[in-house]
Amino acid sequence: MPTYELALMLRAMPKTELKTSLKRISHAIFDRGGIIRSIENLGFRAMPYKTSAHGLVHREANYFVIKMDTGTKAVADLREEYSRDVDVIRQRIFKSQEAFDKTCTLEEELLPPAYRKEVQKMIDVGKTQVNRFKYKFKYNSGLDYYPFQR
Amino acid sequence: MALLKTLVSRYILPTTYRATAIRYSSTDPKLAESDDSPVEMENPYKKEVRQCILCKLNITPDYKNHRLLSQFQSPYTGRIYGRHITGLCKAKQDLVESEIRKAQNCAYMPYYYKDKSFLKDPKLFDPENPIRSHRF
Repeated sequence: MPTYELALMLRAMPKTELKTSLKRISHAIFDRGGIIRSIENLGFRAMPYKTSAHGLVHREANYFVIKMDTGTKAVADLREEYSRDVDVIRQRIFKSQEAFDKTCTLEEELLPPAYRKEVQKMIDVGKTQVNRFKYKFKYNSGLDYYPFQR
Repeated sequence: MALLKTLVSRYILPTTYRATAIRYSSTDPKLAESDDSPVEMENPYKKEVRQCILCKLNITPDYKNHRLLSQFQSPYTGRIYGRHITGLCKAKQDLVESEIRKAQNCAYMPYYYKDKSFLKDPKLFDPENPIRSHRF
C-alpha cells in the first residue's frame, strides 16, 4: 500500500462538529482497509481565493493534512465519498513525496552552449536531418544557367 | 695573428673552464633530497563547484511549505519565476514549479498575487538581474 497525503479543507464550524466530521473522514479510510499515519492541523485561516462548495461560498477554511496508507483502487472511491461530504470544501490526494537524491547539475548548466551535453545532442540530431529552411534552386525552372553566385 | 686569437679563445679557454668549474647534475643525490624539490599537490586555483541554493542547503521543496514556495513567485502577478532568474538546477526548478502548482490547487497559495504577509521575506535572487537575458 503506497502512502498518500490527503489535503483537506473543511468548512468553518465549532470544534465538536469538526471532531465528528474528522472522525467520519478517517472512518471512511479505515472501512476501505487503509491506515492513517498522521493527521496534521494547519489551522483555521483565510483561503487565498473564495471557493464555492455545496451551494455555499467559503472564504475561510480549516486546513488538515492526513497521511494515510491505502490501496491504489480505494483512492478514487475515497475522493468520491469526500466530494459528497458537505463539510469538505476541497480535497486533494497526492502521492507522498519520495526522498530527493539527485546531485546538483547547476555547474554543467552554466557552461557555454557548445559545452552543454543537450546542445551537443541537438547539433548531432540536426546534422542527420535536411535543412528545410535553406532555399535550393531547382534546375527545371526554365533558366538555362545558374542565376546565383556559386 | 687575429686568426690565432680566435683559435685560442675557441679551443683553449672552454677546456680550462671545464676543468675548473664543478658541474652539478639533476641526478645528484645531495640536491634531490633538498626541500626545493617539486611537491605533488592538487590544483590550488581550482574553482569550487557551484551549487544552487536549495541543493546547497539540502532543502526539498514541499507543497505544504508555501512560505518557501512563495519566494519563487512574482509579487506582482503571482507568476513562477524561471530558471534563468531563480538560479536553481533543472531538477529543483521542476520540483519547485510542480509543488507551487500543487499548493495553489490546494488553496495554500494564491494564483495571481503573492500573500501580502510574505512580501517582506528575504530575497533569494534578483529578478532584475537574470543569469540569461529574457524578453521582458
